[in-house]
Amino acid sequence: MLLEVRNLTKRFGGLIAVNDVSFHVEQGEIVGIFGPNGSGKTTTLSLISGMIKPTSGALLWNGDDITHLKPFQIAHWGVVKTFQNPQLFPELTVLDHMRIACHLHLKRTLGWKRLKSLVINTANADVALDTAKRVDHILELCRLTDVRHELAANLSYGAEKMIGVAMAMMCEPKLLLLDEPASGLGKDEIGNLDAVLKDLRNHGTTMVVIDHKVGFLGNLADRSVVLHHGAKIADGTIEDVLAREEVIAAYLGKKHA
Amino acid sequence: MNYKRLLAIAALLFPLMVHSESILAIGIYGLLAATLAVSFNLIFGFTGQLSLFHAAAFGISAYTTAILVTRFQWGFWTAILPAIALVAVLAAIVGTICFRFKLREFYFAVVTMAFAELARLIIMNWNDVTNGTLGMTLVAKPSLGGMAIDSSVAWYYLALGLLAVTYLVCAKVVSSWIGRCLEAIRLNDALGESLGINVFAYKLLVFVLGSVLAGLAGSLYGFYTGFIEPNYLSITHSLDIVAMVLLGGIGSLFGPIIGAFVLIALPHVIDLGAEIRIMLYGGILIFVILAMPGGITGIRSRSKHAA
Repeated sequence: MLLEVRNLTKRFGGLIAVNDVSFHVEQGEIVGIFGPNGSGKTTTLSLISGMIKPTSGALLWNGDDITHLKPFQIAHWGVVKTFQNPQLFPELTVLDHMRIACHLHLKRTLGWKRLKSLVINTANADVALDTAKRVDHILELCRLTDVRHELAANLSYGAEKMIGVAMAMMCEPKLLLLDEPASGLGKDEIGNLDAVLKDLRNHGTTMVVIDHKVGFLGNLADRSVVLHHGAKIADGTIEDVLAREEVIAAYLGKKHA
Repeated sequence: MNYKRLLAIAALLFPLMVHSESILAIGIYGLLAATLAVSFNLIFGFTGQLSLFHAAAFGISAYTTAILVTRFQWGFWTAILPAIALVAVLAAIVGTICFRFKLREFYFAVVTMAFAELARLIIMNWNDVTNGTLGMTLVAKPSLGGMAIDSSVAWYYLALGLLAVTYLVCAKVVSSWIGRCLEAIRLNDALGESLGINVFAYKLLVFVLGSVLAGLAGSLYGFYTGFIEPNYLSITHSLDIVAMVLLGGIGSLFGPIIGAFVLIALPHVIDLGAEIRIMLYGGILIFVILAMPGGITGIRSRSKHAA
């Protein structure tokens, strides 16, 4: 088991945003998290990535407790999250974004040699070449090659979201957390995203993907978790989940169930 | 050859061509102010943290060095080491408090200002050790390799050496992988953190490093002028450094040097009364912020883009 979410609860004052949610993610699978607006999906993802701390419950990564680690440490362990609203570095080009996102890759490959590079000018040619290849590959994968010299902030909303995915990929994630990658995208862009995510799956990337509607994710996710009012109401294959009365009730109201 | 190299060579040859003591003195003050501005810009311009602790780092180091030399008969160079170590420890404490509580922008500025004021008040009221508001007179002159540094030319080269070291250290940091982390922190630290950057550690590193460089400038400054007073730590002094950086160019390594020299030399070039001078300073600052947000070096790079 790659990730185990155990009885995760998050209260904001009187509001219980996430209520005793447990699920797990296996190596190589794509887990979709669905639920209407305000059902606690984004909070769950933020809890996993360490951006907010749970009120109670635990997160186990390959059996190790990561509940109290900081976001950068969790990213270092290989759990990387994208943001629902594209987060960018204003003033920088797409390529600059990728250079910043190289941080963990360089940290892992160079280790303490990074400190040496501050004193002696030993630009490690192999590593630089390897990193440049990686950047090219990921830009290609995310369909950003043509715009790599553009300022990120000048790109379309869909491309901005893709930069988020590309930066997360640069971190060499073992588990990629995607927060509503499809929201606000046009039809073409969703098709593009679908292709990108399929590419990523073929490369063996494990993913947890949020969507508030069971759209394109339905045929992508191996397994689905449905949240409603912060609690898990269903967990299983997409067909099973959609047939559940609770799920229909959550989306369409009780009388349809 | 670019203009920076020309200026560096001109700076090296300056004392050979200029024999006026007063002009050389302006040069020394300019070099020390430039050291402050360059090190401050590492924290402010490159990492986005508006520290108002910079003058305090400068003053604390100046006082510690002076006290060790005058009251404990330490040598100047040995006294500098504990002085900057103290600055490093204090900056680490202040930085840890600010960055642990994720104080940003205005809040960071106010809290660092409060710590700077605290340090100034301690120095002002600790009469037995610091001589309070009267300040301390320093007669001793440091020596280097058996030669006493008592001439303006010697001080000039010492100050130039410190500026060169500061500039090279900052240039190295900014152009390395650390610089990319700083850029990420300045532009969007939450995103940087999600990409695995230890935002707290890099902010702290830069704050401590910048403060230590300011401390070195403070130690030299005290012994060059032969006099130190609590006003070295004042907020006004920190704001002067902010003005130098804004004037020279906030995101540039070299700009703050130009900004520092302009603001240090200006009062001597145009002979005006103190009040009018401050008004002129204020006017220049407002003009720079409104009309040329990139500062003096910003204009140059903009015209280069246009060409």
